[in-house]
Amino acid sequence: MNGDKRSPAALIVGLILLIYGLVLKRHDAAIPPGYLLDVATYLKTTKEVVTQFSVAIWSGAIITFFGLWNLAMPSMNSKFDKMVRTPIAGVGTIIFLAFITRYYLEPIFKVWGKNAEPNLGFDFAATFGLNYILLGIVIGIIWVNTIGIPKWMQSGVKTARLAMKMGVISLGAMYSLTELRYMGSLSIVMVAVFVLGTVLFVLLLGRIMKTPRPLTGVLSAGLGVCGVSAAVAAAPVVKARGIDMAYSIGMLLLVGVVGLFTFPTIGRMVGMNELQFGAWAGTGILNSAQVAAAALIFDPKTIETLKVAEIFNITRILFLPVIVIVLAIWFAKGEEEAEVGKVNIGRVLVEKFPIFVIGFILMFAFSSTGIFTPKNYELHGKNFYNFAPEEKKEVRTRDLKKVQELIDSGNVTNPEVRAAVEKLIADRQVTTTAQTDLVLKASDFTDDKKLKDIFKDADKKVQATPPTIKMMREYMMWFFAFGLIGLGMQITWQTIRQAGGKAAVIGVIAGFTKAALSFLICWLFIKGTI
Amino acid sequence: MAEEKAASTEQKEMEERALSVFASERKEDLTALIIAFALALLVIFTLK
Repeated sequence: MNGDKRSPAALIVGLILLIYGLVLKRHDAAIPPGYLLDVATYLKTTKEVVTQFSVAIWSGAIITFFGLWNLAMPSMNSKFDKMVRTPIAGVGTIIFLAFITRYYLEPIFKVWGKNAEPNLGFDFAATFGLNYILLGIVIGIIWVNTIGIPKWMQSGVKTARLAMKMGVISLGAMYSLTELRYMGSLSIVMVAVFVLGTVLFVLLLGRIMKTPRPLTGVLSAGLGVCGVSAAVAAAPVVKARGIDMAYSIGMLLLVGVVGLFTFPTIGRMVGMNELQFGAWAGTGILNSAQVAAAALIFDPKTIETLKVAEIFNITRILFLPVIVIVLAIWFAKGEEEAEVGKVNIGRVLVEKFPIFVIGFILMFAFSSTGIFTPKNYELHGKNFYNFAPEEKKEVRTRDLKKVQELIDSGNVTNPEVRAAVEKLIADRQVTTTAQTDLVLKASDFTDDKKLKDIFKDADKKVQATPPTIKMMREYMMWFFAFGLIGLGMQITWQTIRQAGGKAAVIGVIAGFTKAALSFLICWLFIKGTI
Repeated sequence: MAEEKAASTEQKEMEERALSVFASERKEDLTALIIAFALALLVIFTLK
């Protein structure tokens, strides 16, 4: 019976969340008690009270239940106990930290940033992207490097990677075929150039600096493809030893952490849009988890940057088999014996290929069948539409008058566009996807900015995200928030310190070159939005 | 001698930490896949 298995931590965390939820519930979830309302008003979080309530009540109840169970009956060695009961205290603590960071710390920094703007000349919270994702990672890093991870939290912290993977798989449901086609073709070109370029560059650096071949091999996979998991996949074919892996993991973590904190600030300073930044992060940042973190730090409100960054990240993971084969051939050529014959490349590829990437693709295929789209909703291009007649979707009368004037002027020469606009005037709202495309096209027949805005607005008014997608997006964000706090808790000074000597020099040179070149390409050549 | 021993222990620790990355990745991926799909189905059944 382990002491950690009888820890009251889960019960304490669960009860705090539960009591907080019940305090919110005391009057009405939407109108919290006076003192909480004052705080929420100060922090500008009154709109989030309902979400806070459901997160606190549900997570609090579940964690309390397992906390009580763990105290009454210590967990044993069954699979369920190992997967659920033992990690619950750590999981609960991370959920609690994510809750505090999302609903209290981020809003506090937002207010402070605004208040300090007149004196500092800039909003420090906005400039440095001090949102709940970044703050969560920083708290995780500070926690692990100061008080350390107590025994009762350890198995919970290890579930962070699992949560990140669940987040990536769920993200698969958020893409439309149009988006995937556009981002996919862009990412294949960029990723192919950077993955192969970095691998060859690192092999060359290794040769110049005379590093051991196994170390050069794992470094090239890690720096070229997707960080630690690529280094792990390449290890058997280049006969890497534990010490090579230790150097590589330390170095990848070091370069990745620097990228994680600098990319979003640079992206914001030069005014990158979500497509440019997502492409840059997905190409230039080394580790998969840090790509997601940087995208969410850059843009925590929508998931557009995350979607772009993950497509780039997944594309490069798909290059992993190619790189493993390239490295196997490179390693065999340098050895006196044909070592490649002794390694079953096929088996390595099958064993090490990340299944969660297949999960992401399956989830995309699953959502493409329309299974997440409820009745009355239609996916068109990258947006969902709901054409059911509603007053809030109607174009204002004075705006319709302006549209009528355009029709009367005879400037709309395309008969299809004209018919669509006339139907808009008659119905007061757009009613089909074909019509919405034609109404948007009507902007080409006028120079009046106001009219252009009216057509854009008519399209926007019928756009609606289905509740299924909203719910999936919400829990996916929690997976990422949870996973990234846990990720912070795994960034230890001890691991980074492992990146010594030549591995660190190669890592810094290759990592910086890749980041700088991909920045220039994304910033200068990627135009437009998603 | 003591320094050598310390260095060897440290190296062993580093190796163990590095090798732990190899373990259980596949199981973790499968678990993530199953939970993500189970949640997706739950969302479909409750909200669609």
